[in-house]
Amino acid sequence: MRHYEVMVILDPSLDERTVAPTLDTFLNVIRTSGGNVEKVDVWGRRRLSFEINKQAEGIYALLDVNAEPAAVKELDRQLSLQDSVLRTKVLRRDAAKG
Amino acid sequence: MAKLDRRPPKRKVNLLRREGVTVVDWKDVTLLRKFISDRGKIRSRRVTGLTPQQQKQVATAIKNAREMALLPYPGVAAR
Repeated sequence: MRHYEVMVILDPSLDERTVAPTLDTFLNVIRTSGGNVEKVDVWGRRRLSFEINKQAEGIYALLDVNAEPAAVKELDRQLSLQDSVLRTKVLRRDAAKG
Repeated sequence: MAKLDRRPPKRKVNLLRREGVTVVDWKDVTLLRKFISDRGKIRSRRVTGLTPQQQKQVATAIKNAREMALLPYPGVAAR
């Protein structure tokens, strides 16, 4: 079991209030595999420093997760298949200290 | 016999990060902004006055932040 940070940039046309519940459905992958979700932090709308898929803004969300590597990989895969997800990034905080 | 007076070594901006930062967080954009030029390039160690380890940490943090569009990539006059 390891600690991961998953950052997601979502399409700005989404309603910010629906973001947390939608992400939650994806997090079921973690829960069913025995991991737990520490924190879901929705930063909200932010200007991107460059355009991603022609979008100048994005809704940022940060997920703190304890899980098996395979579960996180699956979560990342499912997120990136979503059209409303502009970009994702998975980092292990403990390893490289930053 | 005063030799050509050497300019006294300009004191470096003394480890900006003795402000309590021990671990550089790639999500701390306001901190990382101080380590890039207005064109978006990472400031060299000569300018930042960081230790090699710290410089490395800052550099990786900036690169991670760039991937998530938190910081700009180097280019013509970024905003």
